[in-house]
Amino acid sequence: MASRAGAGTTPTVKRALSPRGMLGENRPTLWLAPLLAVVTLFYLYPAFEVLRYSVTNASLLDPDYEYTLETFTRVLSDPVLYKVIRTTAIFVIASIVLQLLLGLMIAVAVNRASKRRLPGMVFMRSLVLSAWVMPGVVIGIVWAIILNDADYGLANLLLGAVGLGSVQWLATPNTALMSVIIANVWRGTAFSMILQYAGLQSIPEELYEAAEVDGAGALQSFWYITLPQLRPILMINIILITISTLNTFDMILPLTGGGPGQATEVLALRTYNVIFQNFSLAGGAVLAVVMLAIAMALTLIYQRLLRSEGSL
Amino acid sequence: MGRRAQRRVGDAMTYLVFFFALLFFGGPLLWLLSLSIRTQQEIFITSLRLIPENPTFENYTEVLYTAQFSVFLLNSLKLALAGSIGALVVSAPAAYAFSRLTFRGNKLFLIGVLGLQMISPLVVVIPLYRYFDRLNLVDSHFSTAMVYIAILVPLATWMLKGFFDGVPPALDEAAMVDGCTRFGAFRRVTLPLILPGLTSTFVLTAILAWGEFVVPYVLLSEPSLLPISIGILNFQGNYASNSTNVLAAGGVLAMLPAIATFVILQRFIVRALTSGAIKG
Repeated sequence: MASRAGAGTTPTVKRALSPRGMLGENRPTLWLAPLLAVVTLFYLYPAFEVLRYSVTNASLLDPDYEYTLETFTRVLSDPVLYKVIRTTAIFVIASIVLQLLLGLMIAVAVNRASKRRLPGMVFMRSLVLSAWVMPGVVIGIVWAIILNDADYGLANLLLGAVGLGSVQWLATPNTALMSVIIANVWRGTAFSMILQYAGLQSIPEELYEAAEVDGAGALQSFWYITLPQLRPILMINIILITISTLNTFDMILPLTGGGPGQATEVLALRTYNVIFQNFSLAGGAVLAVVMLAIAMALTLIYQRLLRSEGSL
Repeated sequence: MGRRAQRRVGDAMTYLVFFFALLFFGGPLLWLLSLSIRTQQEIFITSLRLIPENPTFENYTEVLYTAQFSVFLLNSLKLALAGSIGALVVSAPAAYAFSRLTFRGNKLFLIGVLGLQMISPLVVVIPLYRYFDRLNLVDSHFSTAMVYIAILVPLATWMLKGFFDGVPPALDEAAMVDGCTRFGAFRRVTLPLILPGLTSTFVLTAILAWGEFVVPYVLLSEPSLLPISIGILNFQGNYASNSTNVLAAGGVLAMLPAIATFVILQRFIVRALTSGAIKG
């Protein structure tokens, strides 16, 4: 079988291609070669370059640069960075809380509807997921229109319809951050819902039946059975929301552009702006290193969770 | 409270959640559709009515031809197809190896691939921009598609590994006993067996590639090469706010392919998400 791969070649090549050699088809080398090439060219090399640029004074406008640690100290001691980190933290934490709650609520409803064969379940699931498959930029544009304070702004029209005054959603720092969070929750809830829904479906029905026999009500079953059973998936969900929210800036550009002032400038957007608006390649690289470090830390936590859950 | 009454209350609560979710998720989409068929006068009426007095499709023709959206849409399609097909070609053999072969570092490698997925495409594209600039590869669909492939590969590898795990190894071993090489068994037996999984992975990566923003934003600037995500952002920046009806039509066109693909093929995607997403 496998030794046929080496037929008709010179003895040395034959040994290399034999099942025990590096290139045998039972060895991973050839199977993984395309992946390794992609990883080296598009991940390892860029990661190395980002690290290298972070210890230079490189600018986008000038091909020459020198090695220095000054950029690092300058960027990390910049008070703007701490404002950006604060904004990012609020953005991430609010997104986690709201997406988990909303996702869980819809998942429970969809799960119940599918168990009871109530109509409308597939439509509901599709609608929520539609928001998730849309390009981020378009989501930003949709919400820029909805939250606009012109006459066509749906949010203020609805507030007016129930007798409330209109809000300048995108004009003041706090409401702008709230707007960005709302748009992100609109986008990301689908993902939480689908994870939670999968989790709910894997809870054995007998647990609920036993609880019912013991006289537990719906709320008690939810608190003592559903939530503990969902815990591993909720933890994984938190990590995945954190990552996707941290990497979000496509949606923010059309919605607020990071403003007003710098009120909605999150870390990813800041990194982009430092490089492509201020042309400081080195400064952006320092921020990219921070982003890389966060991604690595989250991966480690994620891997622990997967292992304890038994899917790795 | 009797069991039946409790069920009734539960059903009512279920539909209450559905109602508010419908409003929150469906409302903005309906409003966008409504704006996109209004004339310029009708975008400024302070009213919640959805169907305008004089519905028009002119906004769509304007955005497609005057604003070049037909070009942007075609570019997005090209990049999404190249990216997701390329990602399948690179990932399928790797995922097979992770699923079938025993070698040192198998798990460590897989975790590494998972880690790659956590990295923002922004981090990857910063040094590539300067590198491509030196090689005269900026403003090229070829180099951009390569980066698309790279950012889709981690997800594709994890998903496909899951699908390969679902095929009993006894099947490819039987083929090998019958005289197939391992590669032959992979190509003729295992790969055809995971066709639904390949479809899921292809559709999901294509949808993600359709919405990809950072990579083309940094690597492409020539207007005739831009995908829809960048085209519509530039359009929003250039258009006066009294043409929101035209912008809305652009938004509908930009989201339609992703949503249509998803709705038609959602059987594949929902399953892929529930199996693939949890793991990576």
